[in-house]
Amino acid sequence: MSVQVRNLQGNEACALGAIAAGCRFYAGYPITPSSEIAERMAEALPKVGGAFVQMEDEIASIAAVLGAEVGGTKAMTATSGPGFSLKQEVLGFAAAAEIPCVVVNVMRGGPSTGMPTRPSQGDMMQARWGTHGDHPVIALAPASVSEVYTQTARAFNLSERFRIPAVVLYDEVIGHLQETVDLRESATLELAERKWARGSPATHLPYAETDDGVPVMSRPGDGHRDHMTGLTHGEDGFPTQNPEAVTRAMDRLLGKLERDRDAIDAVDMLACEDADIVVVACGIVARAARRAVRDLRAEGLAAGLFRPITLWPFPEQAFARAAEAAKIVLVAEMNAGQLRLEVERLCPPGARVVGLGRIDGTPIAPAEIRAKVQELTQDA
Amino acid sequence: MDTTEIRLCGIGGQGLILGARVLAKALVSEGRKVAQSQSYEPTSRGELSRADLLVGDEAPDYPLATALDLALILDQAAAGACDGLLKPSAMVLADSEKVPAPPQGAFTTYSYPFAAAAAELGTTRAANMAALGALVALSGICAPESLIGAIGAIGSRSHLARNTDAVHAGLRMVRDASPVPDPAKPRPGS
Repeated sequence: MSVQVRNLQGNEACALGAIAAGCRFYAGYPITPSSEIAERMAEALPKVGGAFVQMEDEIASIAAVLGAEVGGTKAMTATSGPGFSLKQEVLGFAAAAEIPCVVVNVMRGGPSTGMPTRPSQGDMMQARWGTHGDHPVIALAPASVSEVYTQTARAFNLSERFRIPAVVLYDEVIGHLQETVDLRESATLELAERKWARGSPATHLPYAETDDGVPVMSRPGDGHRDHMTGLTHGEDGFPTQNPEAVTRAMDRLLGKLERDRDAIDAVDMLACEDADIVVVACGIVARAARRAVRDLRAEGLAAGLFRPITLWPFPEQAFARAAEAAKIVLVAEMNAGQLRLEVERLCPPGARVVGLGRIDGTPIAPAEIRAKVQELTQDA
Repeated sequence: MDTTEIRLCGIGGQGLILGARVLAKALVSEGRKVAQSQSYEPTSRGELSRADLLVGDEAPDYPLATALDLALILDQAAAGACDGLLKPSAMVLADSEKVPAPPQGAFTTYSYPFAAAAAELGTTRAANMAALGALVALSGICAPESLIGAIGAIGSRSHLARNTDAVHAGLRMVRDASPVPDPAKPRPGS
């Protein structure tokens, strides 16, 4: 048997997926339950000509990642809730200055220090709105070890292509789960590379509008002038408060998320076509929901599963189709109802949204989801 | 989809997670798909520790244990670690010395002197490997050769011979023991 088929831990798969995507720099500060990512990167990066730095804290880590990215090296950092909070300021800088980067958040119980070793999905909204101001961000939510590998790689591709920070978001269970994976299945991975400035340095504008809304990046040393700032800036990269220029810049910045949603959106659906009840879930909870939906179907109940793989921006169109025939949408999540807010916003008028939350540091089991669906079916 | 659920439990330091990794490696070498999870927190140091394997021909929808077919208990502190999770058809293997009061229920419990056998080989630290040998012999979950091959691939080089001897000791415990209490009982997962 090929050595490509083996048991791999979710956090290890994250590191390997990053390397496969071309990541050659990692700066991080270890934190439970993400530390194996740093361990694995420290081991693997030197072997492929990359570099690993353990920084003094989480803020410095993401700042170093941005430095590497500006220099043209794909880079990543990984953390958990408290560290993700610290990284938010620099994440906002990455969004504003349009510097690609990948930030992994392995979710543990919160708020604050919370429960470091226990799983949670309490950072769903933080992944979208953790940093201040209107900003674009992409968040991917894998639900298996092999998907951690492919979605981490995809995070690099999306971040490079759109110059938007990409967050890989999964719970502690997925991070520490070990599953049998076949890495040959991922060998066909296509890598996206960012667009570099190639025109005349004399006329180069670092944030000029382009056909796809993504400005070309100036490679240091090539002679193209650049100015990167967190201040709102115009096409030349210099700060502006001119309302028209700001509107144009912000519309382009935010519009990057909308111009090619087909490339960004990704979902997994099971039996939604004729479902009376559609369960929405991510990560380990989606694994429980998948089992529950199969069991419910075997009992004759018309249940389905909608799993956003791209969590942010939320795949609205796919969800609208999945919930088209539903009478009830059940949002199962390991938090107090964060994803439910988004689902309520998007739910077709004919359907009722119900939440099933858990915030005690234990995963939601298939039997809980099954029982909730049975209860809701009886009430309906 | 048939999935066999296995829990190895005891106290931190008994090599339960290493045991799970070895067994998982053996199963994957036979083409099976495995999902492994384990306790992950400071209390696992010297207190309750467990590692679970879900084994099937396909990856399980839900990768965590919900109904155990096989359980290995190496310390009394873990005797309650499988409460409410054991199927009536489950087989429970307990250390006869370290687990004086194994769990009782509709399932079948077998007690073997894993720690004592390992002590005879020079260290009780190999009790996990003796227990894996017995577990494989009793359940037929994989071939003993696959288990021994996995020890070679994962375990410490310096302990390879002793760990292999411990597996053989565990295999013999089952083979030399009186007949299985209920020979008609189906194998876990079947």
